[in-house]
Amino acid sequence: MAISVPLHQPTYSFFSNPQEQWKWCAKPSYSFSNNSQNNIRPIKASVETPPFPLFQNPKLEETPADGLEPADPDFYKIGYVRSMRAYGVEFKEGPDGFGVFASKDIEPRRRARLVMQIPLELMLTIRQKLPWMFFPDIVPLGHPIFDIINSTDPETDWDLRLACLLLYAFDQDDNFWQLYGDFLPNADECTSLLLATEEDLMELQDPNLASTMREQQKRAREFWEKNWHSGVPLKIKRLAHDPERFIWAVSIAQSRCINMQVRIGALVQDANMLIPYADMLNHSFQPNCFFHWRFKDRMLEVMVNAGQHVRRGEEMTVNYMHGQMNDMLMQRYGFSSPVNPWNVIQFSGDARIHLDSFLSVFNISGLPEEYYHNSKISSDEESFIDGAVIAAARTLPTWSDGDVPLVPSIERKAVKELQEECRQMLAEFPTTSKQDQKMLDSMKEPRRTLEAAIKYRLHRKLFIDKVTKALDIYQDRILF
Amino acid sequence: MATLSAAWMYQDRGLGPVDYSDDFITRKPNFNRFQTSFLGSFPTGILQTRFRLNNLLRRTSSVRRIKCEKNDELPEYVSVERPPYYSYFDSASGQLEPASGARASIPGEEYWPEGTASRVRAARAPEPTGESTGSPSYGKHPGSRRKKYKASVRARSSEVSVESSASLEPEVSEDATEDPKESSSEYVVYETESKAEGETEYELDKKLGRPHPFIDPKVRKPIEEPLSSEELWWNWRKSDKEQWSRWQRRRPDVETVFLKAMAETGQIKLYGEHPTLTETALYRARRHLFKEERLKAEQERLERIGPIAYYSEWVKAWKRDTSREAIQKHYEETVWGGDPVYPTVNYIQDPDEVIDYRGPDFHEPTPNMLDYLKEHGKVISREELEEILAKEKTEEVEMTDMDEAMAQAVDIGEKDEEGEDSDLDADADDEEEKITRNWSVLKSTPQLQKSKAKPKKDGPMSLEEAVDDSENLTDFLLDFDEED
Repeated sequence: MAISVPLHQPTYSFFSNPQEQWKWCAKPSYSFSNNSQNNIRPIKASVETPPFPLFQNPKLEETPADGLEPADPDFYKIGYVRSMRAYGVEFKEGPDGFGVFASKDIEPRRRARLVMQIPLELMLTIRQKLPWMFFPDIVPLGHPIFDIINSTDPETDWDLRLACLLLYAFDQDDNFWQLYGDFLPNADECTSLLLATEEDLMELQDPNLASTMREQQKRAREFWEKNWHSGVPLKIKRLAHDPERFIWAVSIAQSRCINMQVRIGALVQDANMLIPYADMLNHSFQPNCFFHWRFKDRMLEVMVNAGQHVRRGEEMTVNYMHGQMNDMLMQRYGFSSPVNPWNVIQFSGDARIHLDSFLSVFNISGLPEEYYHNSKISSDEESFIDGAVIAAARTLPTWSDGDVPLVPSIERKAVKELQEECRQMLAEFPTTSKQDQKMLDSMKEPRRTLEAAIKYRLHRKLFIDKVTKALDIYQDRILF
Repeated sequence: MATLSAAWMYQDRGLGPVDYSDDFITRKPNFNRFQTSFLGSFPTGILQTRFRLNNLLRRTSSVRRIKCEKNDELPEYVSVERPPYYSYFDSASGQLEPASGARASIPGEEYWPEGTASRVRAARAPEPTGESTGSPSYGKHPGSRRKKYKASVRARSSEVSVESSASLEPEVSEDATEDPKESSSEYVVYETESKAEGETEYELDKKLGRPHPFIDPKVRKPIEEPLSSEELWWNWRKSDKEQWSRWQRRRPDVETVFLKAMAETGQIKLYGEHPTLTETALYRARRHLFKEERLKAEQERLERIGPIAYYSEWVKAWKRDTSREAIQKHYEETVWGGDPVYPTVNYIQDPDEVIDYRGPDFHEPTPNMLDYLKEHGKVISREELEEILAKEKTEEVEMTDMDEAMAQAVDIGEKDEEGEDSDLDADADDEEEKITRNWSVLKSTPQLQKSKAKPKKDGPMSLEEAVDDSENLTDFLLDFDEED
């Protein structure tokens, strides 16, 4: 059994004592294992069994995120006591935050399988339209916070309302959010761009997004100034003593809000909900799970897709927003993805490529709304095709005219033009993707928002890169 | 034995033959016993199952397989609704168990009402174990209990993080949860109960099932003196202070209440606390008499001082003199009436008056009803009636003629049929009489109409005959479409 630990090995550390019974999950980074090697490991009474077989095998099929540790036991306990349940999943924490991981294999079943259930009493819910209804009804009748909520615009200010409600819940004794708030990302850890400084917004290299974020910040700050001016009663004032707290609450509300149509009693309503454990699920474009509202006992169920095979340790993911570009994701949630299948590049010019042959080169099938990579047709080329190629299929200017065949020379010319455009777009950026990557690697403990901003522009460039490569491959494989 | 096997099948529906083998093997000594005892009561049809079971037995006893095989020899399941037995040997407990009732075992998940399965699963989900090192900040410091992956923080709290990660992650899966409770000593540390200090020996005894007194000696209080009869709740003596039910109070009655109130204020004197029946009757009589007296006095006052004076309290508008002379003077000067309650004389009625409703022609003799009715056309004589009926009859006949469009049509074949039709005439007349009474029958059976219509037409009629035949000129209208 390998013993020592090279200093920079990111994932796996092995212990000299085979009797060590840690969890199957990997240990975090080097400093930790150094410490552990220095300590004398006590001998456990319960440990006489041979070492856990998984442990000897370094190839764990874990998520790429390293350094996952089980979350604080109190995290689940406070929910368990209030009749929230998690079946077969556990909460882990890594350097990027919380995540929900499967603790055992789930076979593909015909029915969607329940993984988590969260009762209504733990949530903070506001109806989207007038009259505001709160479920659970924590706002008392004469409280000035209700006047503040009433003064918001019904169409657009849902996040401000939720932020007010969240801050009020923090202040109310016996409220679950007083306990759960300790596990929310605080202002340092939250990646939402509302908390970004000017410098971070400049790093985005996207003036539209930067201006949008500036507007949002201004709006949140103005709201705070209007409603938390010095004359307000203490009841309100102590909710948010400074604008930063309020803006943090707005960012939490924006990034963790789940909009669902729920039926409560006889009323079917669109509601903005802050749901405690379900908001720890991360986003993916091919999600595992989905949310379902169980009307009978007013629970939100997190269910695994039917027919989904989930392996132990796989991350449970949900699709946050369907069909939006990276900038929307960035604006709302504070993250971006290089494999967003809904990314869009604005191409100018007349160059068009043949859609059908592009799709067949990459074995993409399905309707334009639901392109997917059909792996039954092709066995190779799996590593190249990801969401970015699908986005390319959607965003490249294409022509398709029934049975009219393509003319290879024209196609090649078109491809060259498009690639030229991509290159120009890349050239317009102040930095290249390699430089961005290097910057990311070199920064030690960057501010979260700065990191997110740099990642955003990096992903953008990677996407354009990928489009170029895809066009290359397409060019090679044009059949004639 | 068939019941045995059926019961096994019934009980072990969810399980494979694994249990069969266990049961067979463990019960083998019993099996022979039961076989002999039940042997007499078997119908012949079940002997086959016995043989099958024997085969199974032999097979499983020879090779102790734990793996399941597809077993084609399973006998049919007994239907769930009505077991043909009232008790059977439960495969789970090995004891005799009733098929239904309070002592029967709880049915499996298939029989639970909806929603029970999820509730049971939620209740069965294991509680999260593990101690947390942080403590909640109750809304003051959001994010304080997250693990922050900054190297400095980690280095500082490495021991802390070691211990916290060593403590249990609340795993809800069925994996065996290992429990490395960190302790600084090198020695083996056995997990003691969490409530070890909180448990007294009494509780320990109770939990472990050792003999113990009924009441915890620490909590027990010494027996005091027994309660006096006043304090006992089943005491029959009425307590002065409190009745144990509100139903025990006195029922209020108008008279008794007023009597008691009057006694308390000192208006009257009662014999005891509460008025008796005699006192109540006396009160009632007195009240009646007082009422009569008072009414008489009022009437007398009205007569004495006149109506205006009498009602002057209510008529606030009249502030002038209310004496009779003044009123008389005022009345003469204006057209205004005397009594505001009865403003006109005609209103005053004599209650004993007998009113005669007989009208002005009261003294007329009784008229002849028959002539009267005849005059007004309500009654006709018998001759007139017969006249009218006769007329109606002939009219009927004419109408049938006209209804039939075919009757007007010239049919060549008709002359041949006339001979037959004249024979039918007599019959047809009789039938017509019958049919005129059942008009609906006539209308709905076209062949009846046709047979009538045909004999009536004797070829082309002369003009006089046609005129005589017709009722009026409308018969010559040839528009027959609306009639049918």
